Amino acid sequence: MARTRAKPVPKEASPEPTSPPPTKTLPPSTSNPPKLFILPRDTSKDARILTLDNPATANPSRYFFCPDKGFYEFTRISAPKQTPRSWLITPENGSRFNDSHEKEKEGEEVKDTDKDTALGSGYITSSPSLFIATPLDILFLLLPALSPASTKQKGHEKANFLSLEDHLEALTTSSPHLKSLLCAHTSLEATIAQRLMTCCDTVDAGDETMYRVSHLRVLECLVQKAERMVAKGLPKSLEDKFITPALEVPVMSIAREESSVSLATSTSFVSTTTATETETETMTTISTSTTEGNYTPALQTTTQILHLLRLRTALTYLLHSYIPAHLRTPLLSLLSTAASPSFPSFVPLESHLSAIAKLKSEAAALRSISDNISRKRGYEDDDEKAAEREEKKRKKEDEEKKKKQESRSIKQLKKVNTSGMSKLSSFFAVKPKTAK
Amino acid sequence: MLEARLEQASLLKKVVDAIKDLVQDCNFDCNDSGIALQAMDNSHVALVSMMLRSDAFSPFRCDRNIALGINLGSLTKVLRAAQNDDNLTLKAEDAPDVVNLVFESVDSDRISEYDIKLMDIDQEHLGIPETEYAATISMPSAEFQRICRDLSALSESVSIECSKEGVKFNCQGDIGSGSVQLRSRTDVEKPATNVEIDMTEPVALTFSLKYLVNFCKASGLSDQVKLCLSNEVPLLVEYSLGNGGYLRFYLAPKIGDEE
Repeated sequence: MARTRAKPVPKEASPEPTSPPPTKTLPPSTSNPPKLFILPRDTSKDARILTLDNPATANPSRYFFCPDKGFYEFTRISAPKQTPRSWLITPENGSRFNDSHEKEKEGEEVKDTDKDTALGSGYITSSPSLFIATPLDILFLLLPALSPASTKQKGHEKANFLSLEDHLEALTTSSPHLKSLLCAHTSLEATIAQRLMTCCDTVDAGDETMYRVSHLRVLECLVQKAERMVAKGLPKSLEDKFITPALEVPVMSIAREESSVSLATSTSFVSTTTATETETETMTTISTSTTEGNYTPALQTTTQILHLLRLRTALTYLLHSYIPAHLRTPLLSLLSTAASPSFPSFVPLESHLSAIAKLKSEAAALRSISDNISRKRGYEDDDEKAAEREEKKRKKEDEEKKKKQESRSIKQLKKVNTSGMSKLSSFFAVKPKTAK
Repeated sequence: MLEARLEQASLLKKVVDAIKDLVQDCNFDCNDSGIALQAMDNSHVALVSMMLRSDAFSPFRCDRNIALGINLGSLTKVLRAAQNDDNLTLKAEDAPDVVNLVFESVDSDRISEYDIKLMDIDQEHLGIPETEYAATISMPSAEFQRICRDLSALSESVSIECSKEGVKFNCQGDIGSGSVQLRSRTDVEKPATNVEIDMTEPVALTFSLKYLVNFCKASGLSDQVKLCLSNEVPLLVEYSLGNGGYLRFYLAPKIGDEE
């Protein structure tokens, strides 16, 4: 090794990495990028964003407050992970697309960019999320303070009547922002008093009115809100997730006389009543197509049931998103006792749902039987298993091949007594794969 | 793409010969600093780590980090076709299926070219920290090979004891026992025969002779071999490849039950 015959090729021959041409570098992205908000129109100048405790979770959250319009909560809308998106925010005149126009304008309100018409003065935020301010009943913000978790054990009967000032003090201790808000806007106090009336029992003590939270009134309030939600129609996501699947009635066996074609029931028994020149397969396809059309479900879902289910879904949603956890159980039990005539009775809904559940379990039991008959081996299972078997076989063959290839000395080394020797991985740490 | 030209094919031939009996398949990790290799034997008690720096090649070009998973048996077969003095050029694409080897004979105009199919090898890499060893012994590699071979006739394992007096290789077997002791010596005229012992504290460790004999297959790569020992850590046996390159073997010591 020491002696080399040929003179080494001059070093220039090796392709030295040429220095990259000077490129314009982008300014570094900010660590705290601006966020995009959609805020209500025509808010007063004193509107601000503040931090209050979330009524349901008691975590500090951001709220938007306008002295004229009240409280707004922020809902974050983000793009799905599969289709990453970003915002390009440009000044109003620079934009050409009307649909994104409003967002841009609103974004600018918050961002306060210079009013340049060029697209170049735009801004790109990598986060696709959009914050929408939606109105929030101040009642929800008051509730945690009205019935602190500690009084839960004693029950609301034991809770004392308190003056407005006392309630406000309880409120402001938890959130300093609210305190400053109350100082700045005296009208807020009146609003609060008004909202308290709707959810509290009141007692007049001299010139002062005393309040005590009433679960009944809170519930009435919630039911009202839920009714309103249902009247306007539930959002599609709620409808798809909670309403439609809950009311699905499993398709049970179909009566034979309903169809003119020879039918197989859902258990795939081919009927023998009619002469069958057709292939079994076609028959089953016919039968499934007919099931779509003219079967009568074992249970009819009435509009009343549908309404009740929507109402209950709306109520559950309200309870879980806005009501403190310790208030939920007393409210729910109150609802089931139907203490007020204004409360809907969910008894017919429950009986209907239990009937559906029973049908479903029956159908499931039936299906497992029919599965045994109709497809002894699932199509997918079959493929998977075959692939698995193939894999195993291949591995085995590979191993055998490897063994044959092994040199004699490697085989000898395998026989070495390694007792008392620990594996090297116990001395040296395994490097993570990516660090390679 | 990768293109690396070695002046003498013998270097790669000897490296592969030295490790092919320890590991079957391994990844040659190529990046712009050179070609590196790390692999463990089947029992995971020994590890071989090789580094051929880009300086050892002329020219050397590697645009992208690539791992060439090669069966060492196949590589040996192909390298047998190269003369020791041939120029050897390794070539591979950026996402290669094969590695291409070209042997150019120096005196006759003979150019032979071979492709070896690559394999996907899922190997875990161990992070080996720089260690201050309690004792470092440099000695002629032929001497170390002879000691290992002689003692392996008697026993499966050897204890290496390093003290002020020198280094002592000691073994106990069924037929009897044997030991070889070396004292440090410096010969200015023949530095290859030097024995140097650099020690901060006495060390005594036991190792499997079969593995040491296996490591000694690298003796042809370098006149001198370096043994580094510390209590409770693997032995390091290092052969220099020139230009800062090395071939290192690590072997876990035998701790506890002495047969």
